[in-house]
Amino acid sequence: MRKEISIRIVLFAFFAVLCALVLVPFYAIALGSFKPGKELVRNGLNLSFDLSVMSFDNFVFLFTGNHAYFLWFFNSFLLTIVQVALTLLVSAFVAYGFAAYEFKGKNVLFICVLLIMMVPFEILLLPLYKLTFDLGLMNTFSAIVLPGVANASTIFFFRQYLRGIPNEIITAGRVDGASEYGIYFRLVMPVMKPAFAAMAILNGMHSWNNLLWPFMVLSDSNKYTLPIGLKTLLTPYGNNYDLLIVGSFFSILPIFLLFVGFQKYFIDGMTAGAVKG
Amino acid sequence: MIRKFIYSQKTAPYVFVLPFVLVFLVFWIYPLGNSVGMSFQKMTLGQGAQWIGFDNYVKLMGDGVFLKAVTNSFVYMVLTLVILIPFPMLFAVLINNKLMWGREFFKSAFFLPALTSVVVAGTIFRLMFGEMEGSLINSFLSLFGIEPIKFLKGQVTGFIALLALATWRWTGVNMLYFLSGLKNIPEEYYEAASMDGASAFQKFTRITVPLLKPTTLYVVTISIYAGLAMFIESLMLWNGNNSPKNIGLTIVGYLYRQGIEKNEMGYAAAVGIVLLVVALAINLTQLAFTGMFKKED
Amino acid sequence: MKSKRFMVLAVLSMTLMLWGCGKSSSPSGGETSVLDGGAGENATELSYWTFVELHGKHFETMLQKWNEANPDRQIKLNVTVMPYDDMHNKLSIAVQTGQGAPDIADIEVGKFPDFLKGTPQLETLNDVVEPYKDTIVKSRLDLYSKDGQIYGLPTHVGATVAFYNTEILDQAGVDYTKIKTWEDYKKAGIQVYEKTGKYLGTADTSAVWQSAMMLSQQRKDFTDDAGNPVVNSPELIKGLGILKDLQESNVVSTIAGGQPDTEEAYGEFNNGNYASAMMPLWMMSRFTNYMPDLAGKIAIAPTPVIEEGMPRSYGGGGTGTVVTKTAKDIKLAKDFLAFAKLSLDANIQIWNTLGFDPVNMDVWEMKDVTHNPENQFVKYFKNNPFDVLNEIKDEIQLIKSTPASPTINNVLCTTTLNEIFEDGKDITEALNEAQKQIEQQLK
Repeated sequence: MRKEISIRIVLFAFFAVLCALVLVPFYAIALGSFKPGKELVRNGLNLSFDLSVMSFDNFVFLFTGNHAYFLWFFNSFLLTIVQVALTLLVSAFVAYGFAAYEFKGKNVLFICVLLIMMVPFEILLLPLYKLTFDLGLMNTFSAIVLPGVANASTIFFFRQYLRGIPNEIITAGRVDGASEYGIYFRLVMPVMKPAFAAMAILNGMHSWNNLLWPFMVLSDSNKYTLPIGLKTLLTPYGNNYDLLIVGSFFSILPIFLLFVGFQKYFIDGMTAGAVKG
Repeated sequence: MIRKFIYSQKTAPYVFVLPFVLVFLVFWIYPLGNSVGMSFQKMTLGQGAQWIGFDNYVKLMGDGVFLKAVTNSFVYMVLTLVILIPFPMLFAVLINNKLMWGREFFKSAFFLPALTSVVVAGTIFRLMFGEMEGSLINSFLSLFGIEPIKFLKGQVTGFIALLALATWRWTGVNMLYFLSGLKNIPEEYYEAASMDGASAFQKFTRITVPLLKPTTLYVVTISIYAGLAMFIESLMLWNGNNSPKNIGLTIVGYLYRQGIEKNEMGYAAAVGIVLLVVALAINLTQLAFTGMFKKED
Repeated sequence: MKSKRFMVLAVLSMTLMLWGCGKSSSPSGGETSVLDGGAGENATELSYWTFVELHGKHFETMLQKWNEANPDRQIKLNVTVMPYDDMHNKLSIAVQTGQGAPDIADIEVGKFPDFLKGTPQLETLNDVVEPYKDTIVKSRLDLYSKDGQIYGLPTHVGATVAFYNTEILDQAGVDYTKIKTWEDYKKAGIQVYEKTGKYLGTADTSAVWQSAMMLSQQRKDFTDDAGNPVVNSPELIKGLGILKDLQESNVVSTIAGGQPDTEEAYGEFNNGNYASAMMPLWMMSRFTNYMPDLAGKIAIAPTPVIEEGMPRSYGGGGTGTVVTKTAKDIKLAKDFLAFAKLSLDANIQIWNTLGFDPVNMDVWEMKDVTHNPENQFVKYFKNNPFDVLNEIKDEIQLIKSTPASPTINNVLCTTTLNEIFEDGKDITEALNEAQKQIEQQLK
């Protein structure tokens, strides 16, 4: 019994220390959001709790000031939801094709999926940029969503997950006279909920924080997503830390909520999914 | 008629995978082919192009800055593998232990860094590792009597900052991957081992590690990808694409510099192709070694 | 059946929505405001891109005056402010493809050569400059010219001067007015370090202000007359050698941020850790904006020179405003631009609101403007910048902006200067390597 308790204590202490370390930057952001930007310029970022310079000014500015923060927030929000929804729908659809059928060219095609997963998207940056330009899709959200809509890792994950679903569901459906697509939409999809949850988190995270490609493609500041918007606060003519720090603080919230809400599914989904090799 | 065709069991699979095929062709194969083509030309966006054969590649080989970028990316990738595989695995095992208090809390806490925007994370770390004595890290070091270090100006210290950022961000995520993998290992194995008198260490090395192999493979693959393609973290840490002596320049950073900043699309395309070849080579080698190809359908 | 149809419909409509709310009508981006400056119905709409909000404000002021003075040629101005890199990248694409370019745009001097490559897609401005030619600082027009054709109108002179923190100097018993040469500077610096422990100045690693200063004093440049880079010239080796010697004597030291014009450096200066900066006059607005603790303590003087008699200044930094070939009404745009940047009125504004040293030298004579006690810059600094400007007016050198300049700047600012001042590398060796690298990059 005593051995158990001492192990518990050691484990807990170990993780508590690690956790404190991990949370330091967040504490710094939190503190920083109460300090004026000029403070940061003068004294650097630190953990000093100096009440003389702290105030709610930045928060007031965030909610009442003349800036585009909430526009960026809204754009990110909208883009993330649409992107995640579309990507999940399409990827699961495709994955079912791989998982439920044998057909000519299946192996070749699946290797293509693997290929994409192994290769950095960044190598396509330039030609994609040129293609987007040629297609007249510059400065559109479509340019951001479309290239990733049949997302390789998501397809891979769903396919692995689907392999774990008993074939009886499908055969039973056929016996009942349902069409192939009916089987998929009405019998298989409902069973994929944990997988959807897991992929919703991963894709949501990626979409919310996506910077490089949207930055290259969007030129209308009314369309800027949150990461781009925050980045524009860092200029060679002076950094707007007031808004940057408090804005950063806020940007963590939605994804955090999403994660907390779906965390259980994330683990369950990941368990049954990709990691089965 | 067409309806019957589409709905038949034979064609259905093709309909299912059609979206992927389309996207793959339009947004992957076509740009890739384009990229290969561009790499053999000298061109700028909007203006004419000129075929120059292998000139771009030859120039790359002699380009000191490019070679520096490759070295940086490589070293970064290797170091992230060294740090971000063993430790998260270990943490996953520890946190999975029955005797762990507050497991859910810690899982969320560790995952939090991955949720922050790179802009924010990079800026915070840039400020934390600033060279003034008031910055976080330096004021911590001064407690030990160490002089302020100009982290972002030296190769080694710069990488310390970069890796600190990477570790902070991705440990939680990798840990969660391993946690999922652990769930697949039946309790019975451990119980059997206990009965045979195995120590914790033996259980770890003989049961856990081998059975985590699929997960490990997956994480290694995406880490190789992420390491070689890293750009934004460096961009934010040095507040721009111009780190002193190019200590933070990565392959993609160089691609961006040539392609977007200097508008030398052909040369930048060549950089991209080199990255593609390197990434493919490493990944295929890795998979061949671990027998992935034999196991796959 | 129903749910499937719904699904398909949902996906389709989402895609359509994305496509629809995608295509933007405004091809530019950034914050766009339409200024009508009192313009009437028949006003021509012109678009202007910039990366500095204050420039936009300046144009707003000038717009009012233009519309009042030219009721038959009124203008409505669409001002778009975009982040620095963004604006230049988009402008570059727009100008090259001939699509979506604004009528008027700011281009920073560092990026200017890229826009002059081949056949510049910009309008020549010689005709509208003509009436102002004798009163404008010539080197600032040359800066944005190619083959005798002027493509951009300058915003300021950017004359390099020395900014001294007299509080620290007084503590050390140093009189800045006595500092004429780098020898004097060295003696003063040693005294400052001994008496106060502070550094007299900086050894810049991320900007070439000091390198340019040393070169211009010896009447040389980073490039030769043909525009070819020659960074390993004996003159630059000598100049950097002087700085290195100062560093070794603790007169100067590297600074956080790498040069005085960074936020880390503002902090250092504000905290009184460095007693001088060799910067162009536009540094004044940085002092007033970011270093409030130094108000009333900073004096302006000509920079020290290697030998008395050498020119004591050069024009550093700058933004050239251009008219694109695709402009709607080229003549109108050009006339307005000249008015907004070269006229007496405009230049008075540039001094009053932006705190820049105006290119129209007539302003320098107007004591009521330059010594206006209400002007925030007159209030902040111990002495008047125009007194110094008038003293050095015939000594302001030109450091050319050539197609090689961006590469030169990049190599020096990322690698070479760091190697010399942080790592202690031999100057000749470092510069030779820089020369090699620059030539390789430009092949």
